[in-house]
Amino acid sequence: MPKFDIPAEIVEQTQLAHGIFLLTVEAPAIQNSANPGQFCMLEVKYNNSRDPLLRRPLSIYKTQANGHISFLYKKVGKGTRLLSKRRPGEIVRVLGPLGQGFRLIHDRPCILVGGGLGIAPLLLPAERIKQSGKLVILIGAGNASEIPTIEDFSGLTRYFHVATEDGSLGQRGMVTDLLAQTLQEITGMAQIYTCGPWPMMKAVYHIARKKNIPCQVSLEATMACGIGLCLGCAVPKSDSREFLHVCKEGPVFDADQVNWEYTQ
Amino acid sequence: MIHQNDQITKSPDLSIKIGSLVLKNPVLLASGTCGYGTELDGLLDLDQVGGIIVKGISIRPRPGTPPPRLVETPCGLLNSIGLENVGIESFLRDKLPWLRNVKTSLIVNILGNSVEEYSEIAKKLDGAEGVKAIEVNISCPNVKAGGIAFGTDPEAAANVTRAVKKATDLPVIIKLTPNVTDITKVARKVASAGADAVSLINTLLGMAIDIKSRRPALANVFGGLSGPAIKPIALRMVWQVVRAVDIPVIGIGGISTSDDALEFLMAGAKAVEIGTATLIRPSTAEDVPADIRDYMEANSIQNLEDLRLPE
Repeated sequence: MPKFDIPAEIVEQTQLAHGIFLLTVEAPAIQNSANPGQFCMLEVKYNNSRDPLLRRPLSIYKTQANGHISFLYKKVGKGTRLLSKRRPGEIVRVLGPLGQGFRLIHDRPCILVGGGLGIAPLLLPAERIKQSGKLVILIGAGNASEIPTIEDFSGLTRYFHVATEDGSLGQRGMVTDLLAQTLQEITGMAQIYTCGPWPMMKAVYHIARKKNIPCQVSLEATMACGIGLCLGCAVPKSDSREFLHVCKEGPVFDADQVNWEYTQ
Repeated sequence: MIHQNDQITKSPDLSIKIGSLVLKNPVLLASGTCGYGTELDGLLDLDQVGGIIVKGISIRPRPGTPPPRLVETPCGLLNSIGLENVGIESFLRDKLPWLRNVKTSLIVNILGNSVEEYSEIAKKLDGAEGVKAIEVNISCPNVKAGGIAFGTDPEAAANVTRAVKKATDLPVIIKLTPNVTDITKVARKVASAGADAVSLINTLLGMAIDIKSRRPALANVFGGLSGPAIKPIALRMVWQVVRAVDIPVIGIGGISTSDDALEFLMAGAKAVEIGTATLIRPSTAEDVPADIRDYMEANSIQNLEDLRLPE
């Protein structure tokens, strides 16, 4: 699969909620070959500065036929803080598209389960699945302000549900409650795609396993290169002492490949 | 007349020799930061690089250390990968065929838990088509057995060097650790044990603590520091070793640009390795030789040796 490392012009940088940004860049080569669930490495430093040293991995949130790619991200540290200060017209170096995305399955109902900004890699698969079959979207967050882009999802299916822990939007509770309710209504085979905080994905996986429903997870890890050079983004495998590498074999894995008992 | 014109416009010669190893330019990809080459396909033109030193290979596959394996530090990167690799058999079977088609010198980095293991891997590589040299890792800070245990003891380092030299006719480069009081002691020992060259420095042992979880940030507690942060230390050690041994010295440590590389060449290094910089900008090792050429042209320097500062 072709990868590109290109200087991309920023066309939009919008703060959607406290600390949450939507960044859009012009990168036609990457947009053209990106698959749902893939990510890019973005250079956040200015010019020849060497601090912060590393690029930041961001899921591809949205692509447009005009060559634009958007990233939905949260300001969590030095790197993303610098990135959030970049303005339209400026150039940011983008390496992508990277990793193995979601393997889309069209012969059964698909359930997307997103937690907080874990929704970022789920919009592209949602748009694809919508064209071919039954789509259920379940989104959870601590409160409504953590998921400012749910309108991008809500129009894709009538099976759309939100849960917030404080009840500020949708049902009060966890997204896993929504999943349990949904699975009661589905008879026959289904497919789950999920991304969110580790404990949430772990809970989703346990629910899926109990019902024998295959589950694909999009994992996050500290990365240096994003292309399998450094092997830094290791996650323990479920069936051996070996490791999965989020950047190369992932970020999307079958959930039963992952050792969910491992805590960092 | 034509001859004279030729002299004036002759472009700088970037090729170098390290023992019987001929490199088209002095810029190598450092082991552990360029995978097995395929990972860089399409992002770096390997044909433009002086050589590629692939990920350290052991007798058997190694799974590596548990995560977290990485911490970013100011201008630096702490890692503890634990020498994860596919093992020599898989390397020869699955990785080497692709690397043979690349028009650059292939150097294989090796590591072992005992002198015998180093020797055994070297033997297996000796007849392998396409392999041009061996770099011996006696300096990884992240594994308990082998690795740095050999690199910090001059006598043990010499034993490994002798064993590998005996096992192969390929040029042997010994990669040195900076985690010693006097790096010239180990350098002298491995030189007199028959090493064709030394490369330095491997990473500096360091650590970080996550104040939120109140635990060491790396699962392995300690890790190796690389990146621009270590360049002054690396340069100082290269300078010292160049003046202590008669064999070629390959400089490693925080080189991200031709300016960095030129400093090492001026200190007396015959060649340089690009490590962490490849992780950040995969094309670095392609850009650096081109920029060195520009510098030499602009300063009317014909040969790399002429860059070296006078004693």
